[in-house]
Amino acid sequence: MTRQTLLSTCLLLSLAGLTQATAWPAYQDDDEHATAAVEHPPHTRAPGEIDVSITADDWVRAPGEDWFETMAEQFPDRFSYSEEAAEYTDEDGVGEGDFEGGWIDAKGEYVFRYDIEEDEFAYWQKISAKRLTSGRTLFVQYCASCHGFTGDGYGRSAQHLRPPPRSFHQSNFKFTHVIAGNLPSDDALTELILNGLDGTPMYPWALQDNQVRDIVQYIKTLSPPERGWRDVYAEIADVVDIGEDPFANDPAAGAERGAEVYHLRGCYNCHPGYLSPDEIAGIAGNPPRDDFTYPKIVPDSGYEVLGYAVSILPPDFTWHTIRRGKTASDIAHTVAAGIGGAGMPQWKGSISDEEIWAMGHYVRSLIDDYHGQPAKRAAFMATLRN
Amino acid sequence: MSPLSRLFSPFVSAVAACRARWLATPAALLLFSAAVSAQEVTKRWGPTEPVSTYGHRFDSLFNLITLLISVSFFIVLILLLVPVIRDRAKPGKRASFDHGNSLHDKRFTAIVSVIVFIVLDALVLVIAMRDLREGFWNDPLPNDPEVVRVEVLGQQWSWNFRLAGTDGEFGTPDDIITINELTIPVDRPIDMNLTSKDVIHSFFLPDMRVKRDANPGAVNEMWFESMATGSFAILCAELCGFAHYQMHGEVHVLSEADYDAWEAEASRLALLGYDENDAEAQWAWAWQE
Repeated sequence: MTRQTLLSTCLLLSLAGLTQATAWPAYQDDDEHATAAVEHPPHTRAPGEIDVSITADDWVRAPGEDWFETMAEQFPDRFSYSEEAAEYTDEDGVGEGDFEGGWIDAKGEYVFRYDIEEDEFAYWQKISAKRLTSGRTLFVQYCASCHGFTGDGYGRSAQHLRPPPRSFHQSNFKFTHVIAGNLPSDDALTELILNGLDGTPMYPWALQDNQVRDIVQYIKTLSPPERGWRDVYAEIADVVDIGEDPFANDPAAGAERGAEVYHLRGCYNCHPGYLSPDEIAGIAGNPPRDDFTYPKIVPDSGYEVLGYAVSILPPDFTWHTIRRGKTASDIAHTVAAGIGGAGMPQWKGSISDEEIWAMGHYVRSLIDDYHGQPAKRAAFMATLRN
Repeated sequence: MSPLSRLFSPFVSAVAACRARWLATPAALLLFSAAVSAQEVTKRWGPTEPVSTYGHRFDSLFNLITLLISVSFFIVLILLLVPVIRDRAKPGKRASFDHGNSLHDKRFTAIVSVIVFIVLDALVLVIAMRDLREGFWNDPLPNDPEVVRVEVLGQQWSWNFRLAGTDGEFGTPDDIITINELTIPVDRPIDMNLTSKDVIHSFFLPDMRVKRDANPGAVNEMWFESMATGSFAILCAELCGFAHYQMHGEVHVLSEADYDAWEAEASRLALLGYDENDAEAQWAWAWQE
């Protein structure tokens, strides 16, 4: 091969590479206006037709009224009470009018004020473009493969996955331990991301704190306009408060009490029952449904795939891995807050906190005793099925 | 003097001429401590005991290669060090230059190359091919009722497993689908079909000494048979994205009785949870032998 042939081959190859590189869909970062439009190959699902764009100053709902005061106590240098906060207006004119002052932070990221015209508190959070860009980069790196580039839950790896990944357009989260219907606070969302959801590809993400915070802020901007964090009237709530664990020193007593509560409150109507039919009839007053040692499938509007609400089998605690059940406290909080979109109702308010804690201990004891031990579990369930 | 001893005379004379006795004690100490620490390292961070039927083949070949290349390494090291120490700069000694281009040198090089090739490459190749033929390539028979078939679907960053359930057919309502957890019986061949949704992954069972790529758009095959019950690691052995490091799971090997009970119950629960309207959730493919 002569030197000329070699040279021309190299030239041709590099030209071909250049053509390939320019044909690549552009989803590189753009600080000012980063649209997450990606060309989807024909075999993947089409994304939802919601325009997701980040502008330099994106406004979303702040974590809550107390949040500013708490932050001011923790970081007195950063947050201060200010009359001038009242004069702040954004480009859409939201919240314009007379104010009685509010909290402002040194970086200009958070503003809290009282709106006299609307006669209500307006908690706005102004996220810096730098933070959103960082959040978006991390989102594309870690989250987009399942949750999709636009956050619609239709990422390429999401296909066939059950339960399907969360669509952030719904602004509905199942296991944040926040009362269903409310938006979770930053802390609740951060905790969810750090803990993960067991038994699913949603891992406990080993990211740095500031990385998770950036992702959380970016996720909020994925809400459609006037919905979720872009809804002025949406409630942002913290983790449900069910007090101290009354059975902290004696989990066994909690489990015993929980067995009674579990079967009295009819949990076995969807989940399996874990006592004999006679015992259940003794506690609940009527015999359990047929086949009560198996869970019953329920449609779940919380997860939609192409407009179809998928069905979910309520977990059998002795068999399935539950999403957040590492401790009795996790389970008690899930029971108290309910699971938005699914059949699991909110129990906080319906029954006492003590009963909720007892149920947490009972379910945890079921997991400890039988989960992952098919032979022992089979023997136990056989005693109920006779 | 026989031709063979003449051939190796430079090596023999180099070793014999080494008068650096003072080097013997530290060298021996160094070798001894290296051997001891190698043992410690192997115990602590080395491979686990092989669990699959052909795992010991992998280990013995690995140990053989390690031994052979260690021996050749030390021979080369000695051949390098001895002249360097023996012929180092001394007062009254002039350096002489030699291109070493004689027929003797050429013959020496050629014969040593052939010996090294036979001892190292050919030996290892022959053993490796024998092991592959009798182990990894020795697929279970297509209609063997003993074989457990598993469809493995990799994705960023999880392993999806589908077992055929009690009816033995894929794509039916009683298929058992698990994520990152695989349950299999002991002492039965496990036949696997692997593919991927998105990028190239590699399904790796370190305790079974088996690893195979899962490529999007193609179905790869592999098989193994576990000889022990217990829980073992599943890893991804192909850099597949930012969270590649946490793409791991567990394979639970159950006794035959345990597995039968597990399969019956899991199949029943899968049937209960089956949603016929949810066409998207059905991802089984036709089994490929």
